[in-house]
Order: sequence, then structure tokens, then C-alpha cells
Amino acid sequence: MQLLLEMLQFPFMQRALIAGAMLALLLSILGIFVTVRRMAFFGDGIAHASLAGIAIAILVGVSPLPVALAWAAAVALAVWWLERSTRLSSDTLIGILFTASMALGVVLMSFTRGYQPELVSFLFGSILSVRSIDLTYILAIGAVILTWLLLSFRHLTYMSLSEDQAIVSGIPVRLQTVILYVALALATVLGVKILGIILVSALLILPPAASRLLSSNFRGHVVMSVVMSELMVLLGLAVSCLYDLPSGATIILTGTAIFLLTALAGRLKR
Amino acid sequence: MPRPSPKTNSGPSAISVVGCTVSFSGQRVVSDVSFSIPSGSVAAIIGPNGSGKTTLVKAILGLVPMDSGQVRIFDHPIADAHPMIGYVPQHLDFDRRFPITVAEFMELARHRHLEREKIDEMIDEVGLPDSTLKKQLGQLSGGQLQRVLIAQAILNNPDLLVLDEPASGIDIVGEKAFYDIIRHLNREHDTTVLMVSHELSVVSKLVDTVVCLNHKMICFGPPKKLLTVKGIGRIFGDQTQTFEHDLIQSLGHVHVHDSAHSHAADHDDIVKKRPVTKKKKR
Repeated sequence: MQLLLEMLQFPFMQRALIAGAMLALLLSILGIFVTVRRMAFFGDGIAHASLAGIAIAILVGVSPLPVALAWAAAVALAVWWLERSTRLSSDTLIGILFTASMALGVVLMSFTRGYQPELVSFLFGSILSVRSIDLTYILAIGAVILTWLLLSFRHLTYMSLSEDQAIVSGIPVRLQTVILYVALALATVLGVKILGIILVSALLILPPAASRLLSSNFRGHVVMSVVMSELMVLLGLAVSCLYDLPSGATIILTGTAIFLLTALAGRLKR
Repeated sequence: MPRPSPKTNSGPSAISVVGCTVSFSGQRVVSDVSFSIPSGSVAAIIGPNGSGKTTLVKAILGLVPMDSGQVRIFDHPIADAHPMIGYVPQHLDFDRRFPITVAEFMELARHRHLEREKIDEMIDEVGLPDSTLKKQLGQLSGGQLQRVLIAQAILNNPDLLVLDEPASGIDIVGEKAFYDIIRHLNREHDTTVLMVSHELSVVSKLVDTVVCLNHKMICFGPPKKLLTVKGIGRIFGDQTQTFEHDLIQSLGHVHVHDSAHSHAADHDDIVKKRPVTKKKKR
């Protein structure tokens, strides 16, 4: 405990905690819509696809996060557009675009020379990698997405359960779907800073999945999902600092432990 | 969105469809359909499986794009008419393990100016106990879910209620109660109703106007005039036998062509066959 309090004196740790708390809130709420719309692959695909954006930024010599954000938003828009103009499912399209984008990233990375610490931090995540400017992006974009979620929550829930009824009730379903796809892409890439490309989608899936096992109504499901997500990130960060473990992997393992405990509690409850 | 007025100076038409044509992947599913449903009436779209009934309903509601044609609801374009419409889809394809209660699901559709008590009132109106509101949506039986969908569709006092095969998944006892609700809504609340239905006996008793569809509009008018053995044959073709029992059940209410009497003589046989023919229908 003493060590944790000492760690909190460091600015990088403060930034990691603030960024972690914001991302846990954001991804756990978005994750509810990801699970109910059966698009769990979306977060994973977008995170991997962002590698091309990171590679372009490193090659050009600019900050990777804004380029990765723009690239991910473009991929999300492409998935949305192709979904409507082809007969292919969202999973198939994400599978195609994510592998193509990742392949492009790998090819582009082959043109860079030497060890790339930025790339490694994006692949596996690192609390040390959250700089002040990254925190600004996380808080600013996070606040915009949270405000939109707050204003559109009822619409998003209705259209996720019954799209046709939502349209007939007058909800602008097409517009809200585009915004949801872009918001998901941006939030996922922001999460990459802490969890890494490979692991970030777990923060979209684990908290809502664990919450579902114990919830009997939607309000409880949302609250529990947020609480579990915060617990997962903050506890995971603490453990990773205490035992000098990789932050992303430790957060996911903490989340998995919470999920297993919840599953056990769910069985006992029945 | 402010609710447009259902009554306009252009006449009493609730639904006006002109030249509605819809294609999927180059294949024409609905071809040049035109009809008009009077305000305050109950209308049914009937036709064999795959005849484009659901597509026509979705085109009317603006859920699928039309190649050509025009739809007006109470003389408003569909985009402006949404606040006046309640819709019950054929299936609610949702994750049944999703933890949402009936009350929360109803709340999603409630207009902000309506009081919360209206939800209790509508649940009562469709004959469900208050305790249903606390149940999870995914735990309801097919019949209970259909009633909840109707309660949700009528929550905001729609001027037009559109139901796509509303009795699917409901047993015969539930079916009767269900159509009683439709009749009550139409008579007591003056709601115009458009539904897709396979139940010809129900259609003949409940409906004022029938739209017969087999990609094109085959016939249009009152059921007593159209639902004859000859008429059914024209609409359903090879599937006519499937509907014989329904027709015979409604003999007392429908003017039937002479040849129907020979069918009536075989009534018992047809009743025995009913489970098979019912299964074929759904």
C-alpha cells in the first residue's frame, strides 16, 4: 500500500490512472452495445487495423495517436458503408479490412530501421506510454463520446434491440449507427495506449459479459458493467505496478479473474 | 418531433400507396402496387408465402427503399408520419439473454410527454398482469411477447397500427384474445389498423378491406366480396388447400361460390388435417 501511494506521486502514474478510469468508463458502456449487437469482433478488428495508421505516423515522423485515430475512424466508416452496399456481414468486412490494414502496417513498418519503442507500446500497451498530450486526447475525445452516449442512450438501446421499431418511432438510426461505429473505433484506439492493439478489445467485452451474469435489469447491467470495468483497470494497474508486470496483460488477467468470480457467483445465485 | 395532424383536408385516407415497386438484387418483389386504406378501418394484406407482404409493409413504413412509387400516411410523407404510427414486427430478433425488463423495454418507446403510468395502462389493455413489467423480456412466451409488442406499439396513441403477422407464435386461444384486442383498439380508440395475416377466418370477420398480394396486387376490396373459393384460388394458387379450413370456418360470414358446398361436405376431413396444414402455413 505504501509503495502504491508512493507510485501515485509520479506524474506518469497519475496520467495512467486518469486515462485508465476514463477508458474503463467509456469502453464498458460502449461494450454493452457491442455485445447486444453481436459485434464483438469489431473492437478487435479496429484495434489491429490501426497498426497501419501507427506505421504511417512513424514513417512520416509525426505523433502516432492522432493518425491512428483518423485511420481507425476511416476503417469504421468503410465497414459501415460496405455493410450497406454489399451483401457481406459486418464480421466478414471487418475480417477483410482488419487483415488488409494490418498487412499494410507490417509492410510499412519494414521500411523503418531499428527498434521502435512507439510500436511496441502500441502493440502491448504501457502505462509509461501515456504522455500529457495522449491524456488530453483521451479526456477530450472521451468527454465528447460520453456526452453523446448520455444524450443518445435510449435511442442506442432501442435500435440495438429492434432496429425496425426504432426507425418507425422516428429515431435517426442510420446517423446513430455511423456515430456508434466511429465512437467505437476512436475509443478502441484510445484504449490501445494502455492495453495494446492485441488486448484492448477485452475491455469492451469482459465487463459487460461479467455484468450480464449477475444483472436482472438493464439499469443494473449498465451500472455493474461500469463498476467492474473500473475495478478491472484500476486493480490491474495497481498489480502491474506492484509486481512490475506489463500493464495491458495484467489488466486483462484481472478482468478475467473478475469474470470467473462473477460466473461462480451467478451459479450460486441460481 | 412534433406530431403531425392525422386528419387533413385532403380526405379520409390513412394509407395511400401509389405504384409501389421494390426489388432486391434485381429481383422484383413488389410490383406496381397501388391502394388506399380509409381512416378508421381495419385492413389486411393477404397472400401466399414469399408473395412480398412483409416487403410491402416495410416499404410503406419506409424501412426498405422503393424503386419507384409513393406512400403517404394521413397525407404526410412517411418520414413525417412516424410519430403517428405504432409497429409490431413479425419477429423481434434480439438476444434473449439480454437483461432488460418489460418495463424498461416499454420505456424505450414512451414519448417524453406521456406519463409513466401509461405503460401500466397499456399492459393492462393487452390483458397482461402488472407483474409482467418486472419480468425479463427474454423470459416471456411467444404470446406474451407479442402482447408486449402491441402494448408498446399503442403506448403513444398511434393513429395507425401496423402489424406484421401479429398472431404468429400464439396458440389458438391466445389468437382469439389477440384479435379481440385489435378490434377493441379499432372500435374504442379509432385506430386505423393494417396487418399482414394468414388467418382467413379472422380476416373475414375482423377486416374491412383486403389487399391480395402475389408480388402484384391481385385484388382489393371487402373480404365478403373477395374471399370466395374462386377468389382464394386466384390468390393462393397451389397453396389454396392450406387455407380451405379457414375459409370453411368463415362460411357464415363470407359469400362463397357454389363449389364451396362440396368443400363444406369434407369439413371434418379438413379439420383432421388441420395440424398438418397449420404447420405448413407457418
